Amino acid sequence: MSLSFLFRTVTRDVAKVSIRQHAQSLHTGCQLLAAEKALLMKLRKTTGYTFINCKKALEKFDNDIAQAESWLNEQAQKEGWTKANKLEGRKAKEGLIGLFVGDKAAVMVEVNCETDFVARNEKFQQLVKDVAFATLAHHQNIRQSKTGYVKSVLAGEELSKLSVAEGASLADQVALTIGRLGENMSVRRAVTVAVPAEWNIGSYVHGGVSGQTEVVMGRYGALVVFQGGKEGEQEVLGRKLGQHIVGEAPVSLGNMDDLPCGESETRLLPQTFLLDPSRTVAQFLLGQQARVLDFVRFQCGEAASEEAK
Amino acid sequence: MAALVGLRACFSALQLTSPSLLHSSFRLCAVPLSRRTFAAEAKKTYSREKPHVNIGTIGHVDHGKTTLTAAITKVLSGAGGANYKKYEDIDNAPEEKARGITINASHVEYTTANRHYAHTDCPGHADYVKNMITGTAQMDGCILVVAATDGQMPQTREHLLLARQIGVEHVVVFINKADAVEDKEMVELVEIEIRELLTEYGYDGENTPVVIGSALCALENREPELGVNAVMKLLEVVDSYVPLPKRELEKPFLLPIEGVYSIPGRGTVVSGTMERGIIKKGDDAEFVGHNRSLKSVVTGIEMFHKSLDRAEAGDNLGALVRGLKREDVRRGMVMCKPGSIKPHLKVQAQVYVLSKEEGGRHKPFVSNFMPVMFSLTWDMACRITLPADKEMVMPGEDTSLTLTLRQPMVLEKGQRFTLRDGNKTIGTGLVTDILTATDDDKANWG
Repeated sequence: MSLSFLFRTVTRDVAKVSIRQHAQSLHTGCQLLAAEKALLMKLRKTTGYTFINCKKALEKFDNDIAQAESWLNEQAQKEGWTKANKLEGRKAKEGLIGLFVGDKAAVMVEVNCETDFVARNEKFQQLVKDVAFATLAHHQNIRQSKTGYVKSVLAGEELSKLSVAEGASLADQVALTIGRLGENMSVRRAVTVAVPAEWNIGSYVHGGVSGQTEVVMGRYGALVVFQGGKEGEQEVLGRKLGQHIVGEAPVSLGNMDDLPCGESETRLLPQTFLLDPSRTVAQFLLGQQARVLDFVRFQCGEAASEEAK
Repeated sequence: MAALVGLRACFSALQLTSPSLLHSSFRLCAVPLSRRTFAAEAKKTYSREKPHVNIGTIGHVDHGKTTLTAAITKVLSGAGGANYKKYEDIDNAPEEKARGITINASHVEYTTANRHYAHTDCPGHADYVKNMITGTAQMDGCILVVAATDGQMPQTREHLLLARQIGVEHVVVFINKADAVEDKEMVELVEIEIRELLTEYGYDGENTPVVIGSALCALENREPELGVNAVMKLLEVVDSYVPLPKRELEKPFLLPIEGVYSIPGRGTVVSGTMERGIIKKGDDAEFVGHNRSLKSVVTGIEMFHKSLDRAEAGDNLGALVRGLKREDVRRGMVMCKPGSIKPHLKVQAQVYVLSKEEGGRHKPFVSNFMPVMFSLTWDMACRITLPADKEMVMPGEDTSLTLTLRQPMVLEKGQRFTLRDGNKTIGTGLVTDILTATDDDKANWG
């Protein structure tokens, strides 16, 4: 009996103390916030991190905005990974194709995200750019000695191991962007081509987003490797061929003397030329004294939907 | 349909397989058949008592748009204003997903004390634009959902940009997940920030209603202040802040002419379905289209061989007109309030090009493509000019384009039309602007 009474009083006291403490901490918390508010707004504006994280950072460093910012940047990488793991498995079939043509070499990549709102965001576009340049750099490292025609296709996993400028891997970069934008993303695939001096690379990107100068981006992309063509007009020719490939989605190349078989033709050369329906692609090429040797076509989300099937 | 398919599958199984398989195929077939009859019985009639408004949600994927929609239906189902839809039901819209066509938006309906709402939730930018163009879900207002934990996301800008682009003028903000943040100040900051952003995008950020709550609380019946009450408050705000769309009846009348008849002893009668407005006996009318413009007076209106004094939008009627011969008027012209509508040769339009799965072409098109344009009761050949920064249009895309008609026809801002080529529908569009035709445009048809 007495024991139980003792126990009860003790617990009551403990409860009282804890309540008082709680009230105190709450009180100081409110005071702090009034001063903090402006800082919090400022930090959020400059960094763009979520409110909750900005607040955590400020509390941690006693409202030192510089320290808080650097901590946030460190934290972002970690958060990105947890977020990336959490979102893994959510369908990402929107996104962008990024295409970059350099000196006798070109790279085309596909990066996916969940909604096309994100695809319009600069941060996502920056990621696509990073992926494109990382792939190109990787390609050039390998290639060094070889001079002939080289085409290499990379799938998602190989790509994430590539490194970007400061030693971080591409996967880290993706995680960082996922943390920022809060959607699942994946680097789907990439292709790089390099051609000998006398060959040309034509390219076309469709459904593009404006504002990107170095790497062109859009929902469809095509690379064409061809020989010949009139001097000075090769770029236009390459673009026209790229447009045709994006539009008609050929599956294989075919031969110059193949006979066209109607609307459902999937070989490039016997297809009716998109920009001049009176001729086939082969006939058009004869007129231009050019020869198509290879082509690649990317459509955003096509790989993802094939997997789903 | 399902039953038919089931029957068909059953027959093919009959032809092919052994008796044991046959048995199972009968069982397969029985299920959809019975389900079908149930569905037919369960149909309710749609009541038209309350004014109808279309509303949508926009916001980041994780901020709880679908949860909010579910919460709204749950809260209102208590008052009999909606059927409670679970999160999964809304998120998937299985039939539409299975068909993979047209409307990638889930549609939910509910009724508040004053209004009936259709609620749309589209997953992407392209989906919204497509719905706007095809007219499946024009939004009169929208709810921007922002999580209190995150604040606006970088892509919230894209959301608002879209709302502007598709002409949504009234945005209501719902700050969600308020239960996950301990102190009120944070929520206030989120609110300040979103108001700033709204102002930046040309909305009235100062006066935009902002409701703070938690959809999850409403769903789980916790903290009524943030849960049920917040949702109710949101609905009240939507009720009062989003105005009713202008009714078709209030607009000047328009009757696209479907047929012209001459009745011996009486005169000429034009028939058609009233597009909008109200028409009365004795009203002045103008006939426009096909390079003609005539004035007359409506001397009689008939519907199903009964004469009436007044007809309104949606009525299928015949109108007796004074002093016109049958040859003066033809199908494709319109009868309208004098001066309310004019024929045009060249327009700017926003067009959604159907993908192959939706029955469109599999090929893209380029400038100077010449389809036939169908709108109201007329059809006319037209030439397409793509904007300067586009070289071609792929199926499944939306684009802005310039259309030049062979002859001026009745067109106005906001009018819908269809483009067809041969036996294929290419796409549907919405007139966004009327352009003045140059001499060049007229001469080019040869």
